Amino acid sequence: MALKTQMLIFIILVGISVVFAVISLSTTNPIIIFIFGVLSLILSVVAFSAKYYTYLYIPAAKMKNKTIVLNEKEMFILSPSGNSIVVRDEGVTYATTFIKVPLYRSSTEMTDPEKLDFGRTFSRAITISKNTTKISSEMLVVNKDEYITKLRSKLDDTSQLLREAESNEKQNTVTINRLKGELTMWQNIISNISSSRSQALVTYYTVSAFGDNEEEAISIVHQRAEELATGISATLGVPAYIPEGDELLSLLEPNYMIPVETVNEIIRQKSIKEGI
Amino acid sequence: MDEETIMYLGISCIPPFVILITAASTGIMGIILGIFAVIAVALILMINYVDFMIFPVVTGLLGIKIQLSKDHYCPKEQNRIIKYTNGIYYATGYLTANLYNYIFRAEGIENSDDSEIILAPEKWERIVMNIDFPFKFNVITNPKDVQKYREDLEGDRGFLEFQISRESNSSNPNQMTLTELQRKVNVLQAKIDRMSSGELPLNTIMYIETTGVGISEKDASDALTTQLNRLETVFHTFDLNIIRITGREIHTLHRLNYVLLDPNSIDKLFNLQH
Repeated sequence: MALKTQMLIFIILVGISVVFAVISLSTTNPIIIFIFGVLSLILSVVAFSAKYYTYLYIPAAKMKNKTIVLNEKEMFILSPSGNSIVVRDEGVTYATTFIKVPLYRSSTEMTDPEKLDFGRTFSRAITISKNTTKISSEMLVVNKDEYITKLRSKLDDTSQLLREAESNEKQNTVTINRLKGELTMWQNIISNISSSRSQALVTYYTVSAFGDNEEEAISIVHQRAEELATGISATLGVPAYIPEGDELLSLLEPNYMIPVETVNEIIRQKSIKEGI
Repeated sequence: MDEETIMYLGISCIPPFVILITAASTGIMGIILGIFAVIAVALILMINYVDFMIFPVVTGLLGIKIQLSKDHYCPKEQNRIIKYTNGIYYATGYLTANLYNYIFRAEGIENSDDSEIILAPEKWERIVMNIDFPFKFNVITNPKDVQKYREDLEGDRGFLEFQISRESNSSNPNQMTLTELQRKVNVLQAKIDRMSSGELPLNTIMYIETTGVGISEKDASDALTTQLNRLETVFHTFDLNIIRITGREIHTLHRLNYVLLDPNSIDKLFNLQH
């Protein structure tokens, strides 16, 4: 589809360019020769750029505020089952699914022949699919959002209790000191957790399929993913599986790869250290 | 260069060449037009070979940013994708990571690549240990038609064997030419043997992706640049050809995160790599 559009635009532009060149050459008026000649040259350059930039031509013509809008919608939608994503592009519906490969072996615990065997097995695992696939190794920040949120809630509760205790004249010093100690404890725990990022390394395959509608594309991609997962499991001897929901999104979206609360806390701690 | 690019180049250069040839006879205007025609041909060639430099310059000068989807945009420098969500900016950048040396070694007929395979997991783990920010190493594979590829290889091998036979039967055979031809035959034979052992012939694209975070676009972009520089340094242990990706390829790589294109489009991407 895109290739046809690209070729069509190229032919139209080159055609106009040739016509202008012919007009330029068939007259004796130097100004007409010059104007049509220059137009012909500009069009020939624009025509060639169609080979790479066709997708920008129409959005560029509609450009507003120096922004070329290629797509105003979300990049994808999550399928109802939550284990694949659906992308609509130029009238075609694509579905993409991921296969997680839990590899727990480390080279430090392998002998040289084992390393060689592992390398060759992995190489074979890459060539396992008859379809286009993407194999990725991703290092992501471990999601501590929930834990940090809980800690911050504890911290807020303790601060509130401390404020109430301090404003209450009847409250004794022991209680106030205990609350102050508890507050310091929560602050220290949050600070320790945020002082370094905990990271995880995951390996996964990506497969896509297209169809006339969402259901067809999802069905085809699941079939491919199941076949591939079986092949990977057999080759590498690990239980490959299709991730869902947030686990799937952590392979796709930066805000899931680097969770919001965790990052906020890291930025906050960094700012405190830098004295901002 | 593939046939399609040659066709595009050839047809696009027709109008400039026609103008160049005929304009010289039309006086001073013609000479100026001739100079413009030469510039047009130069521009066409530049778009073909270094568009990754021209495109960011054009968008930079005009201050144009490209919105790729609701949350993602590519700033005028065209070297990163920005996502803004929940008050945080995420800047994603890409590096090429083609393992050229490993491909050449894989073509070797002896087991000279064994030591590299043994060292690879260790090198990888060392890299992972030394990096404290998120990144992805991606390999896109596109299997070729086994039968056609095998027939092509056998055809090439047959032609080389014919050249060896002709050289050997000549009155004064050149030993260096014979050795070189024999080496090429061995490389082809090694590929055929690998396919016979069950390996699929593949096209591969490898690239590294990382994301920097910050409370402003500049913060995130600065973090990204630092991360990319660090990745460039640590991945050098793998003999990778690493270059920061700029221009339209950024848009394609961003899209490849969500959908793997159909095999024809992917093949086109492989062709564009050269």
